Amino acid sequence: MQAVIEQPGTADEAVVSAAARAELDPEDIGRVVRPSKTLTPVERVGVYQGMYLLRMIEALEGDYPAVAHFLGGEEFAELVTRYAAAHPSTSFTFNRFGRYFPEFIRETRGVRRKAFVADLARLELSVTEVFDAAVSPAWPADAIANIPQEAWEGAVFRPIAAFRLGAYGHPVNAYLQSVKEENHDHPDTGRKATWVAVWRKRYEVWRLEMSEPAHAFLHDLTRGRPFGKAVAASARRLQGSAGDQLFRWLRDWVAEGMFEGVTLS
Amino acid sequence: MTRNQKTETRNPAPRNRWGFEDLGIGIGLRTVHYAHILEQRPEIDFFEILSENYMDTGGRPLWVLDQVAERYPIVMHGVSLNIGSADPLDRDHLSKLKTLAGRTRARWISDHLCWTGVAGRNTHDLLPMPLNEEALRHVAARVKTVSDVLERPLMLENASTYAEFTSSSMPEWEFFGRLMEEADCGMLLDINNVYVSSFNHGFDPERYVDAIDPARVTQYHLAGHTNKGTHIIDTHNDRVIDRVWELYGRSVARTGNVATLLEWDADIPSFDEVHAEALKAAVHRRPEEDSRRGNAASKPGPSGARARLRKENVARAS
Repeated sequence: MQAVIEQPGTADEAVVSAAARAELDPEDIGRVVRPSKTLTPVERVGVYQGMYLLRMIEALEGDYPAVAHFLGGEEFAELVTRYAAAHPSTSFTFNRFGRYFPEFIRETRGVRRKAFVADLARLELSVTEVFDAAVSPAWPADAIANIPQEAWEGAVFRPIAAFRLGAYGHPVNAYLQSVKEENHDHPDTGRKATWVAVWRKRYEVWRLEMSEPAHAFLHDLTRGRPFGKAVAASARRLQGSAGDQLFRWLRDWVAEGMFEGVTLS
Repeated sequence: MTRNQKTETRNPAPRNRWGFEDLGIGIGLRTVHYAHILEQRPEIDFFEILSENYMDTGGRPLWVLDQVAERYPIVMHGVSLNIGSADPLDRDHLSKLKTLAGRTRARWISDHLCWTGVAGRNTHDLLPMPLNEEALRHVAARVKTVSDVLERPLMLENASTYAEFTSSSMPEWEFFGRLMEEADCGMLLDINNVYVSSFNHGFDPERYVDAIDPARVTQYHLAGHTNKGTHIIDTHNDRVIDRVWELYGRSVARTGNVATLLEWDADIPSFDEVHAEALKAAVHRRPEEDSRRGNAASKPGPSGARARLRKENVARAS
């Protein structure tokens, strides 16, 4: 029955699919499922089969609203149909169903504006992951003043669990924002390097688009690079007087609750 | 008057097998009503949560749930236990279910008599069981295991079904009766599902509700559905039809007042509208039992009266 339910197309097409045939000869379905007064056995199984993909599409529309908006209903449904066949849900929750979607888009032929859509999906996956991530209390904004002068060099900043940082080849954050605001005057989606932090603060998910140097510095910090080395690397990138800028960024990020704490060596 | 008698005067002794109390009339906790519930703190007897929506997240849903559970009684209702499947029970799922029950102080845990997938897959649908001796033995053994793990009796709901197997050898009410005896589990009796399945399979819904052991019924579900002419789909997107209310009244006459919940999962109207529809149940409940409970929410309300969470992400300018 499951082999039929998971097939796309009509119920008649589903029962003669290779996967369904491997379980049951289409001629024998009447020996397994009873007819009702109004429906044949195939039509009765078809009630379940018709709802299966609709549920999968609805689930991913919830996780990937901007991708769904960009592709449009028909193209998105077709993409999810292929995705569900390649990565059927294996969890008790739908929360994990879409986790391979960005990768799937990147590897699938025929997706319109594939590089942009894959990038956009990657950002939306970050939002989903951050939304559901475990709670880790944010480091208080004023705690930064308590780090001893001599400890700064080796200080390692730990991001909260609900934090993701991404580098993209397209203006995906601007596009996502336009979809969220139901603004149909979408930004240009051509190639453009962008960098976005996604994190959760007081149970709301926030996105911050940033410059390349800011991203590089934050990337170093959240990957466990000691503060002194991260500053040195950023100073080389900024070619000179970066100290004040780097500290202002760090102070802002701490105030935004991106870190759960700092490890002092 | 002894202390026990005093207690009985306020809360009539529950008739069900485990002494679970009649919680009154509740509705399902749904994302679209979060703000209203947190801000308005409406008077309502209890909330039912979709267990899986809170088992794999550490974010806002759980934060909201903690506040709701602080103020209202909670019952847990699942859709992925997969009790009828040939696959092994999902121990990770059970472990998280138990943890959530502890966190919310859930009065009981329910799921469905169905299977949701095999070969490690989840169709996220409530698929029909073959109703025969082999399936009965299989499910009973699994229910016992689940009850042992959860350290509490499991309540199973009759699902709406659209197909029947030729291998079935007994009606669903008989299957349920024997299962509950064999596995010592309870029943979440969904009256709308009885009606939907009776239409789809051509049995008498009154015969179904009359056959259920009243001592095993710990909760009722009510909901709207979509009649497609040739069959009915359990869509939870509308008001309860009169025939379902009649069946509910017929069943309550046997079970006495039992915790009753209205499900509305698609095209969800305002909290007040959903609650008003649920409160229609009061007409069919036994007022003498409610008055002894002091159950304010069981007074009739204005007449005429899904498992997916939404992310509420907010963008900030760069």
